[in-house]
Amino acid sequence: PGSLVVLDWHRCADSKEHFSRIQRRNVRKRFGLLEAPVLRPLLAADTVSYKIFLSGKSGVGKTALAARLAGLPVPSMHHETTGVQTTVVFWPVKLRENGRVLFFRLQLWDCGENTLRRFDHLLPACTEQADAVLLLFSFTDRTSFDDLSSHLTRSSSPSASTVRLVVGTKFDLFMHTDVTERELREFQQAWGVPVFRVPGGAGAPGVAGLAEVAPLLDALAEHLWHRDVLAAQS
Amino acid sequence: MLQGGSVQLLCLTASSGVPLFCRGATRPLPFSIIGSLNGVHMFGGGQGTVLSSCVTDRGGRVLWRVFHDTVVLIAVSSQESGAVSELRLRRLLENSWNAMVLVLGLDELASARNVERLKRDLRSCYRLIDAFLEGEWDGMGDLMHCADCVVPLQPALLQEVLDSFAHAADSEFGCLLTHGKIIVATEKWWRLAPQEVVLLSALVRTLDGTISRDYPVFLPQGSPTVPHRLLCFQLLPGLDVCVLCGPSPSLQKAESELVVQFWSPVIDTLHGCLALRDRCLPSSVTLQHGILGLLLINRESRRAISTVHLWAGAPADVPLPARRRELLRALYTLAITRYFLAEDAQEEHRSVDGLEEDFPAGFSHQPVQFYLATDECKCFALQTPQHQLYLLTSVTVPTFALRSLATRTLSTLLSHTGF
Repeated sequence: PGSLVVLDWHRCADSKEHFSRIQRRNVRKRFGLLEAPVLRPLLAADTVSYKIFLSGKSGVGKTALAARLAGLPVPSMHHETTGVQTTVVFWPVKLRENGRVLFFRLQLWDCGENTLRRFDHLLPACTEQADAVLLLFSFTDRTSFDDLSSHLTRSSSPSASTVRLVVGTKFDLFMHTDVTERELREFQQAWGVPVFRVPGGAGAPGVAGLAEVAPLLDALAEHLWHRDVLAAQS
Repeated sequence: MLQGGSVQLLCLTASSGVPLFCRGATRPLPFSIIGSLNGVHMFGGGQGTVLSSCVTDRGGRVLWRVFHDTVVLIAVSSQESGAVSELRLRRLLENSWNAMVLVLGLDELASARNVERLKRDLRSCYRLIDAFLEGEWDGMGDLMHCADCVVPLQPALLQEVLDSFAHAADSEFGCLLTHGKIIVATEKWWRLAPQEVVLLSALVRTLDGTISRDYPVFLPQGSPTVPHRLLCFQLLPGLDVCVLCGPSPSLQKAESELVVQFWSPVIDTLHGCLALRDRCLPSSVTLQHGILGLLLINRESRRAISTVHLWAGAPADVPLPARRRELLRALYTLAITRYFLAEDAQEEHRSVDGLEEDFPAGFSHQPVQFYLATDECKCFALQTPQHQLYLLTSVTVPTFALRSLATRTLSTLLSHTGF
């Protein structure tokens, strides 16, 4: 980790120009399907697109995580998501090796668990050609953590090259936590999958700043890039 | 009973009276009151009468309606607000039920054996129901059951692109919207029931923030038990295109192969549509000063343009846009309940509850124009066999000029927009 991309690049002075393309006055810009961040010709960076599937038990905070990563207001109350919804996050990344800057276009695919069960066509739609799967569990919901192992076995079947990361949500509600640090460590060792922590919607309302989302997005970008480099070599 | 200005919606199972949800108002009604409201309705049912509405002496209103012998919806408006019309509450009940069918399907609602599960599933409808409850967006479709539209500069171009886009997506139902108002739609889209068009517009508006959607929908009139897929793409923030389709194409395929191919050539025109958000009319249509708001309805196609942002340099003493919107809604409500009882509306009215007595209809003849002068504004409404126009003007417009202003405005609008 940290060997391919510059971590916390948003703190560096030379990233200002790039990050100013995705946010204005600390509010993230929104882009439609026909749009992308526009840079001065001198700084022009390539855009690489990826499809990321958010998977996890109903209520763990898939929609909230998508909103958080995209810099949108996190819904204050839980509503079951109907059908599939996708959100696009643009994230500039600087490669360590040659200082090249890339814009990662991460499209997050989020689908309510209940509609997944009612409509057969939705799960294939989400997993088809997915580059990465974010497996979510909630620190306040023990079963969502226990389910992870079966999810990991299940989601490994479509393609071995799919990047997998685990995200624990509602980390801020430590009073109600159902999952201990030791269990997490053991889990991490057993599966060799990195685990990230994010706060829940109620604990950190409003819009997430860059510093909050950078660790997860940087790591995600690094894993995706690593996978692509490997694929290119073989 | 409720806090000022608020409307609350209660939903209970029709057979057992178990509360399913309660939306609106920050503080929900106490359980005992909910029970009483349902109880009095049930009592009436036992006596062979249907209790449909009541008014308190201070202007609070309660409306009941049972849908498909499955759920009873109760709308309660507070006494302080006073101005909430019966039409608004009746529409709220219809729209909320339609929203429930849209998201869950009729079978799921009608065969609800497990109440706890139904309660949980109904949460998916909250956003849509809340959108109807708040009524704060700048459209009127929820009240009129006519689709809110905007008129773009180049309708023919956009129509062509939309038709071919829908065709490529194996669909005959396609629609391009900005902030929940229809810019263009395919011919088949307009053949959906007016309530469905309004409902789908509202749905797309609540989906804002996501870039694409694959949303299973049940059409309340056309297909209440078999779901369709609503594919919805945000082309620009505030501008969406959606198609209703069957099993194919997949969301990913439609997005990666069709959206950019069809829509990026017309991106400048689309940007132009975003600017129509408030005014709803292209800048080439110039109307006289003094017009604070207007509502134009095409009665045949069930489409409407409504705007309160016409007069750019309006003096400071005219009502603010939000207030104008309120006044326009009130004017429409007054007209439709008192004067312009369209035949179809009357029939719809009767067939729906069959309870209204004949005499409130009032006139043996059909009024075609009426005006109203208040200390806040002046109003003029006129109807022709095909159109209705409602005009809100500043008080400085002389009353005797209202009629000619209205007829001139109507002909300007029709000649420029072909609405």
